Amino acid sequence: MAENGAKATVTLTIDGVEVTVPSGTRVIEAAEHVGVVVPRYCYHPGIPTRPAQCRMCLVEVEGRPKLEPSCTLQAADEMVVNTASDTARTARQSVIEFLLVNHPLDCPICDAAGQCMLQDYAYVTNQLESRVDEPKRIMGRDRISDDILYFADRCVICTRCVRFMRDVAEDDSLIVAQRGDKAYIDTFPGRELDNPFQGNIVDVCPVGALVHEDFVFKARAWDMDAAASVCPGCPTGCNVTIDTKENQIVRVKPRHNAAVNSWWMCDHGRRHLVMTNRGVRAEVPLIRDGEQLRPVDWATALDWVAEQMEALGSPGGSAVVSPDASNENLFYVHRLLERLGVAGAAFRVAQGDTAALPTVPTLKLRADRAANATGVELFGGCRVDGLADGSEGNGSAVSGSEGGALVVLDDALEGAGEDFGGAADFFLYLGTRLPGAARNADAVLPIATFAEMDGTFTNFEGRVQRFHQALRPPGLARPGWMVLSRVLARLGDGEAVNEVRGAFERMVAEAPAFAGLTWDGIGLKGAPAAGSAAAAAAAAGIHGPQKADA
Amino acid sequence: MSRRIHPAVVPAQPFQLTARETFDGPIFETEEGRHRLKAALSRYPTKQAALLPMLGFVQSVKGWIEPADMVEVAEALDLTPAYVHSIATFYTMYNKHPVGRHFVQVCTNISCHLNRAEEVLHRFLAETGTREGEVSEDGEFTVIEAECLGACGFATVVQVNDRYLEDVTPERVPEIVAKLRGARDGATAGGPEAGGGA
Amino acid sequence: MSFPHGSDLETTTRLSRHQGEADARTLDGWRARGGYEALRRSLDMSPAEITDVVKDSGLRGRGGAGFPTGLKWSFMPKDDGKPHYLCCNADESEPGAFKDREVIRWTPHLLIEGCLIASRAIGAEHAYIYVRGEFFEETQVLNAAVVEAYDNGLAGDGILGSSWSCDVTIHAGAGAYIAGEETGLMNSLMGNRAEPWAKPPFPAQAGAFGMPTTVNNVETLAAVPMILENGADWYRQWGSEQSPGTKLWSCSGHLARPGNYEFALGLPLSDIIFEACGGTPSGKPVKAVIPGGSSTAFLNGDELDCATTYEGLAEAGSALGTASPIVMDEDTDIVAAMRRIAQFYAHESCGQCVQCREGTSWVVRILQRIEAGEGRPSDIDTLYELCEQMTGRTICVLADSVVFPLQSSLDKFRADYEALMKPSLVAAG
Repeated sequence: MAENGAKATVTLTIDGVEVTVPSGTRVIEAAEHVGVVVPRYCYHPGIPTRPAQCRMCLVEVEGRPKLEPSCTLQAADEMVVNTASDTARTARQSVIEFLLVNHPLDCPICDAAGQCMLQDYAYVTNQLESRVDEPKRIMGRDRISDDILYFADRCVICTRCVRFMRDVAEDDSLIVAQRGDKAYIDTFPGRELDNPFQGNIVDVCPVGALVHEDFVFKARAWDMDAAASVCPGCPTGCNVTIDTKENQIVRVKPRHNAAVNSWWMCDHGRRHLVMTNRGVRAEVPLIRDGEQLRPVDWATALDWVAEQMEALGSPGGSAVVSPDASNENLFYVHRLLERLGVAGAAFRVAQGDTAALPTVPTLKLRADRAANATGVELFGGCRVDGLADGSEGNGSAVSGSEGGALVVLDDALEGAGEDFGGAADFFLYLGTRLPGAARNADAVLPIATFAEMDGTFTNFEGRVQRFHQALRPPGLARPGWMVLSRVLARLGDGEAVNEVRGAFERMVAEAPAFAGLTWDGIGLKGAPAAGSAAAAAAAAGIHGPQKADA
Repeated sequence: MSRRIHPAVVPAQPFQLTARETFDGPIFETEEGRHRLKAALSRYPTKQAALLPMLGFVQSVKGWIEPADMVEVAEALDLTPAYVHSIATFYTMYNKHPVGRHFVQVCTNISCHLNRAEEVLHRFLAETGTREGEVSEDGEFTVIEAECLGACGFATVVQVNDRYLEDVTPERVPEIVAKLRGARDGATAGGPEAGGGA
Repeated sequence: MSFPHGSDLETTTRLSRHQGEADARTLDGWRARGGYEALRRSLDMSPAEITDVVKDSGLRGRGGAGFPTGLKWSFMPKDDGKPHYLCCNADESEPGAFKDREVIRWTPHLLIEGCLIASRAIGAEHAYIYVRGEFFEETQVLNAAVVEAYDNGLAGDGILGSSWSCDVTIHAGAGAYIAGEETGLMNSLMGNRAEPWAKPPFPAQAGAFGMPTTVNNVETLAAVPMILENGADWYRQWGSEQSPGTKLWSCSGHLARPGNYEFALGLPLSDIIFEACGGTPSGKPVKAVIPGGSSTAFLNGDELDCATTYEGLAEAGSALGTASPIVMDEDTDIVAAMRRIAQFYAHESCGQCVQCREGTSWVVRILQRIEAGEGRPSDIDTLYELCEQMTGRTICVLADSVVFPLQSSLDKFRADYEALMKPSLVAAG
């Protein structure tokens, strides 16, 4: 269809409200501009194909004899759309009734209950009773991949999952088998999905048909708390929502960000995040008492650490930081190291396989298995392959064999020698856990993981993104920035901060790489750090690759 | 078995034959397979369009299509096996399970229904001693109910392998079954009533 | 049984006049009957001229919808530099219809000629004839004719010595009624599931293989050569202003002489049923007729005087459809017949649209229950309601197709439904 005249916008009326949208906009999207969310199953903003097959988004258009699917209908000048006319509502109601003909109504044991678009729409269409008392067609359940189950009877055949795999992941291995009311979603017989992004099919499922096996019977929707966060699995920084129950991460879902991950995330990220539940944590401050590490309260620990630091004679020393540390934690460590005269921190990054989602160029599982290597580099960090064994320095300033101070921020110290840090005048370990080599430290300060605090990461292209607290830290563990600001305050450097804004604002004021950013300005979508690749892209008007969103 | 077929008609070769051969090695490395694939591909702007013709080809040789065949077809056409599975299960003429040497499909749709088609169906089941869809013990028969075969003026219509039998009454069924039982492989292609309705 | 059946009516056997003549299947036999003269003539005409003749003739699509053929051709873009395709819809599978089968198996060259002329009119470089997979014998005959056409310069490069080229390929379906829907057919041709797609894009914009495509029924294309040869006015001597020409009629059900006939459009339906087909074999009165194939509305026995034109049958509350009357005598169990029809649509639903996927099989289950004597009066209301919800809401008209017979059977034969219900329940209302 030729765009005659190439008009930039069109103006139409939706439910009595006039709205102007870019030409080419579909009515279902135009409606969102006036706050109307037209019910839908097969339409998904992140999936380019629109088969208009669920017939849920039918709306009435003045002058047209039939209801039109708003997901494919192009908004046009002077179009008058009514999404809530009697005809449109009756049609929607009937779709729900049809969908429930064979649906098992097993909501009490369905993992989607409470977050199910079938429940929601059945509720809003006010259907008190079903006229269906015929026997139901029963198909049962199948395995789609090593961790995804398919409950065929709950499926509404919207084909979002099939189209995600085919049109977004370009992996045509999930299909609709059979036809008519015998149709179901299937893989090739005897094979399972094996795609690094397949977990997204569970997220796009509007009902409880596709479920992660590790989530089955784990939590009801209403028992979960959710927090906006960022996936720390690699430097991409996919925006996610962390769902928790009883202070455990039970599920991670991607959160839309057109500039980073669109609507998706990789399976490594999901698994990685759920795995962070595991392991024994450092929960209490410990200070050296002869051969022993003695548990103490925070005030005692902080006073003692400050005292020891002030008592350090010659400047210098070394430091190791974790590339999973937040920008704020890194900033305070950096301040501390400056005071101590330590040149730059070393950091190690585990490497892993990479994977790309073909239609979303910014979304890749990148080789670095850490969230914030970019942040460490912005604070002068130096990437190293491994720790020296502690008996002699290897020039990489990571052995802890030198005199002076040794500061370690949450590095797991794998590969460290038995007497790691033994030569240091003062060995401070801030960590979420307590690895063996950390027991050589003079003081161990337990800190929160990223999921247990607020903060920011800097992604691979320099985009600074906020994450929010999803869990309570265990025991006496506290955010690193909170702890370090107190150490510094005791040394006369700034004030103790209790809130991440304070930490962030001080970082922005003092670290040139972050100049100009504000906590509110970053919002939940992030913003590029000055001079980063992301900033250059933003200046050039490139906002990510979102073909689908365009 | 290789027959040179004009490329224009390769995509329309009959595939409901009684043949029960197997491929001598990978399907598209046989001479016939190569020829069929090449000919079919020459008729369409995309490789995928050759999918239905190639599934038909497999069935014309083996009498049914098993998952391993779908994998071979998928590889030949740069498709995924899953996609081929989706197509093979959408269309009812692809047999996803072996069928008897005589595959009897009784139309019971409206015009045949009005002409005692259900009785014809039950008679076939009784005469062959099978339940619908199963292969008789001797491997001779599979009987199923079919949707409209497009010969409604000649009700009841029964398709045996490729051939239509027309104006079938329940009374004629024992004779038809007896003839089929006696017929050698391929003889049904000539049909107990050669020429069908012609 | 063989073709043609005798008839006392004044028949207007034009398109089907060589059906039943075995040697008309061969190229020599076809040429002896004047075959391929229309094609030769079309080579001297511009595509627009061919389209105009067909437009003027008023020929309407014979696949059921009755869309004017010339108009459809005129939607094809001109000089757009893209390949164009013609798809001949020979996936004849509407219950009641069996007319295309006869065209294919008796006069394959007529169909090829029609395809070539249409291809020339729409600028198609390739004509695909999509024949339903079950038509074994028909396909064999057509295959032989296509090979003959290629061997004799009637298809492929430089047709009849001209500079115009067009390929013809026969493509077998594999068992799907919905492949007879035009977008379903094109999807099937491309090696997809035969799922109809929501228009736009229309076939003339982006059809088969994403290119401009026209889909025409077998009978439509078979009518083109005679129209081209004899002119639009000649064709218009038959039929009405809105329904010109002759039409094949597939007559089945309870008839003394079922079979295919060709009549001028406009005869009273009763003449076709009683005069041509001899009424019911038992001599019993006709209870019901579905005049245009199973997806049209029931007429009852005293509604058969209507004119057999597109407009005449529409006025009578049904449709010409594929012109395939299915006749039922007075002993017919309408509920069982309707259940059987509904089963077909449930079986053939592609499963995309919810109303069709779930609605068709729900209808079947309700009808089965009524048939088994377990019906309730509220079932009739429910069925009416389902009819309403399944009409005009889906991508294609398969769901509507079950509504036409269902709703009309409820209107006209409600007593048949109620007779099967438990008496106490009917009384209780």
